[in-house]
Amino acid sequence: MNSALVLSIWVLNTLLDSGGQLAFKAAAIEPGDADGLARWRHMLARPWIWVGIVCFVGEFVVWLAFLSLIPLAEGVLLGMFSIVAVMLGGRVWFYEHFTRPRLIGIGLIIVGVVVVGIS
Amino acid sequence: MSLKRFYLIGFIALIAFDTLSQVCFKLAAIHAEPFAIEFDWLLRVVGAPWVYGAAVGYVGAFVTWMTLLRHAPIGPAFAASHLEVIGVMVISVPVFGEYLSAQQIFGAALIIAGVVCLAFGETSDAHVQH
Repeated sequence: MNSALVLSIWVLNTLLDSGGQLAFKAAAIEPGDADGLARWRHMLARPWIWVGIVCFVGEFVVWLAFLSLIPLAEGVLLGMFSIVAVMLGGRVWFYEHFTRPRLIGIGLIIVGVVVVGIS
Repeated sequence: MSLKRFYLIGFIALIAFDTLSQVCFKLAAIHAEPFAIEFDWLLRVVGAPWVYGAAVGYVGAFVTWMTLLRHAPIGPAFAASHLEVIGVMVISVPVFGEYLSAQQIFGAALIIAGVVCLAFGETSDAHVQH
């Protein structure tokens, strides 16, 4: 198996998955006091929700490619790294805090993904 | 129905829908073989039923998730939304004949512990904010 290809697809999947989540977050907190339908109209007129949709459509295809190359259980385990990417992005982009349980959780997931990845 | 039972059934349903999606994704990938970065591969994917099963699982998980969030705290709900990894590991052995080494199971245990840790972290955070 071409491990450089697997690694590239995994990186791309992580970027699209976390990018989509972060873009949806950016869309959801757009300033504006509109409610209901007007809020949706406002979001749809701005780029972030579309960035998120493009990311998730892309991820759908990339995830299929990833699972074509490696076993399902291993793929889902390695895909859990997206949680870490989302939290890092949340810290950089939205100034979310790293509480102690979050740091421990992030550390455990990183070590776990590495352990599965190098096996 | 008691609240405890509502959570339990809800979380099991969530994990079941997410597991269904992943199993369908894998079946879609197997049926579209051989994999190549080309349009024909994509045509083989959409030409078989499995990819639509994955979409059904996503919709089911979304509806279950929104129903649960009306009552459940976000932390444990967040954890449950990622615990399909357990369902997938259990199913992938008999359905796809996959084999998990001791090292992979150890890694999986670390990842699951991490997710549970994040879930409880979110819960205590929510209490601070209120």
